[in-house]
Amino acid sequence: MIDQTELIKYFLLESEDYINTLIEGLEDLENKSFSQETLEALYRATHTLKGSASIVKFNKIATLAHKLEDLFEAIINKEIQQDISILNIVRRIVNSIISLINEVSQYNEERTELDSNLVNLIDEIIRKKVILQMEKEAQETYAALPVINSVRVDLSIIDNILDILGEIIVQKNIINDREKELKSLVEEILKSGKKLFSEIISFSDRYWLSPLTDKSKVLDTFFTDFSDLEFDKYDEYHIFTRKIAEITNDINEGLNELISFSENLSSNFKNLGKEIISLKDNLLSIRMLPIGRLLNKISEAIKDTANNLGKHINIEIKGGDIKIDKPVFDLLYEPLIHILRNAIDHGIETPEQRLAFGKSEKGNIKLHVKKEGKYVVISITDDGKGIDIEKVKERAINKGLLNKEQIHYMSNEEILSYIFVPGFSTSEDVDFQSGRGMGLNIVKTAITKLKGTIEVFSEIQKQTTFTIKIPQSLSITNLLIFKSSDLEFAVPINYIEEILTIEDFPDVKNERLINHKNRFIPIKIFSELYFSSNGKPLEKGYIIIFNFSGIRKALLVDDILGQEEAAIYSLGKFLEGLNQYLGYVLSAKGTPRFVIDPIKIFEEEFIFTLPITLTFESTSYTGRVLVVDDSISVRKSLQTLLEAKNLKVYTAKDGLEALNILEDKNVDIIITDLEMPVMHGYELINRLRKDIRFKDLPIIVLTSRGTKKHQEKAIDLGADGFLVKPFDEKTITELLNNFNIIKNQIF
Amino acid sequence: MSEEIREEKHFCVFGIGEREFLIPKESVIQILDVTKIFPIPGSPDYIVGALPVRGKIVPAIDLAKVYNIERINYSENKLLVLDVEGEKIGILSDITPFFVSFDKEIMVDDYLDPKKLYEELKIKQPSSNKKNETLS
Repeated sequence: MIDQTELIKYFLLESEDYINTLIEGLEDLENKSFSQETLEALYRATHTLKGSASIVKFNKIATLAHKLEDLFEAIINKEIQQDISILNIVRRIVNSIISLINEVSQYNEERTELDSNLVNLIDEIIRKKVILQMEKEAQETYAALPVINSVRVDLSIIDNILDILGEIIVQKNIINDREKELKSLVEEILKSGKKLFSEIISFSDRYWLSPLTDKSKVLDTFFTDFSDLEFDKYDEYHIFTRKIAEITNDINEGLNELISFSENLSSNFKNLGKEIISLKDNLLSIRMLPIGRLLNKISEAIKDTANNLGKHINIEIKGGDIKIDKPVFDLLYEPLIHILRNAIDHGIETPEQRLAFGKSEKGNIKLHVKKEGKYVVISITDDGKGIDIEKVKERAINKGLLNKEQIHYMSNEEILSYIFVPGFSTSEDVDFQSGRGMGLNIVKTAITKLKGTIEVFSEIQKQTTFTIKIPQSLSITNLLIFKSSDLEFAVPINYIEEILTIEDFPDVKNERLINHKNRFIPIKIFSELYFSSNGKPLEKGYIIIFNFSGIRKALLVDDILGQEEAAIYSLGKFLEGLNQYLGYVLSAKGTPRFVIDPIKIFEEEFIFTLPITLTFESTSYTGRVLVVDDSISVRKSLQTLLEAKNLKVYTAKDGLEALNILEDKNVDIIITDLEMPVMHGYELINRLRKDIRFKDLPIIVLTSRGTKKHQEKAIDLGADGFLVKPFDEKTITELLNNFNIIKNQIF
Repeated sequence: MSEEIREEKHFCVFGIGEREFLIPKESVIQILDVTKIFPIPGSPDYIVGALPVRGKIVPAIDLAKVYNIERINYSENKLLVLDVEGEKIGILSDITPFFVSFDKEIMVDDYLDPKKLYEELKIKQPSSNKKNETLS
């Protein structure tokens, strides 16, 4: 069961709000008028205060709040005169509540007995519908509320801090990588140093032993001052090796210091890392609320629903002290209440039916919460009718979702998962026998938004269990990092069930289906989806099995790099049309990894590449010309001239560039200069004519070299036309007409 | 792409191939050296990729693809980071961008309106006739 003191803390926080609303509202009534709006606000505040108090079992506060609620209701309905004199009574009650709250804050319990005179008075007022007064004069001031040691902070502030922290973590990861580099650098230096050292030692040792020859003269005056008998004979080599050995020793010492330094640094970094992680955890825990608060609230609402339907239920809550992120908390309310309402509506039978089936009169609903790593698993079990799988099959077939053969191969849980499909069951055809598909699609959508999964298990006539698995926190996601075509991607781990290697499924590329654990799982190949290429054969590869609320799909990727926790950033408005991505994360090195939305990939009509529609220009060219000239003015003037004739113009400033353009652009004709740097025109013509692809491509030479020699050489090599600069529009147009490049000049 | 300029007087000039474009100076917030651009698979070809800038990514747009301009060389690639209503987008430039001032009465050719550019090049959500598609 949820920790009581924790709950009391929340109750105190909440009650402060309600009391303030009450006080402000009462002042408004007194100073302004009895507006319906204010009265309703007061009524709501007392109502919620009553609810909150009864959750923590502060019955006296609840009773007073209840009385007050009744009183306000009567005033709203004008059963009681809307007169300021009533406010004295109200103030008395509020003050009694405040003093009880003060007791709760001090002793965790209500100590003073209820003022029965006060309670009776209110009852009297409500019954008789007249304002009565207490004998004693009413107090004018309100008692002070307990001081609560907490502040309320806007969630966005915490989110901001978390964003900054995300940055810090990225930086920390970069430092970690750098540190590894440093380490390997130090190790390398150390290794070389040691090698140097041992080389020198062995060298000097060897040299030491070898006899001196006359040839090697000692030059150091220190040694030459002594006669041969006075001092051991040393020559320059000896001295040199000595010195080297000494220096090496110094270096060695330095290296040892460097090592201990880098080791210290590593441990400093490690500590810093730990601190950052604990900072992150602490920050995240600020936003965390015990799920019990939510479950209590929901079960109160559900008990009302059950009572209205004449059904009796017990609700058992376990694991209420498990904490979840505030946004998750808020978004869980709707789907949970939906499932529970369904359980009451369609699951739990009436007491008579239950007794007839040999069940206990009261229906049992279990709300069990447990933690699985970074996830919270909520299971909601009722011991009602259960879901009739045959009915589910029937309906799935009727709706055209499945065919008879498919059903054969499917497990029960897989078939059951079809109740989440939109429109599977609508409010018009709620079938009390078949179960409850109603609106479960909404539930699933909500859970999916929370990056969670929902599964259903059921035993007919016995029980139904919905299992919801959601991440504890939304801000940091566990991701699987994989690689495809040398790019890194990430995918949230929560849908991933298993990872297999491709070796066990050699035919996967042809069959597009794997048979794993007696399930046929359709597979998609990531590189085909994202790069529309299936060129290179896959030798290595991994199959990621996703489980989307019971439906399994597989994805083949090139390589898996590991698992990481990261904050997913949004792609921003400019790129948000790429909705196959949930966002991106940055690797330790700062490389962006786009986070794949696995649900989008497996959408049936998923088309990855977008149709590109550009409104900038018309593409209705009559032909494409490549202009090759080293003079920019020639290129420009030709380009303007030709573009005016509705031709697409490519330009290159030498032969080599022209060849490069021809590699990926289709061209109908080339106009080329002869003299150009890098590759001249003759060479270009020569190369083009030797290439089978371009041997018939028309080439016009445009040159300032108008001699016959030049012309003949060009024609010999395979040029189709020859123009001498300066050119004029008419000749160019005529020439292009000859090659049918400028077509239909009619318009 | 010519437009009458009224308020703006200072421009940033950048080039693609042999063309030069002007963009209001105020919208340019950063000019970066392009070291490595990370492709975004699935994006239209005018988005060459993304460049990480201070822990966030900036999409890099190649206007050569938009206006069909031939590239001469890639030697001096710079990325102009623009701020369009709080969003950062990057435009590749083949030259090192520089700033100029004009009399505000002068008509400027090849003037780009950042907002218009942004709206035109922004990736639109693929229209899907099946909303709330589930797995099947």
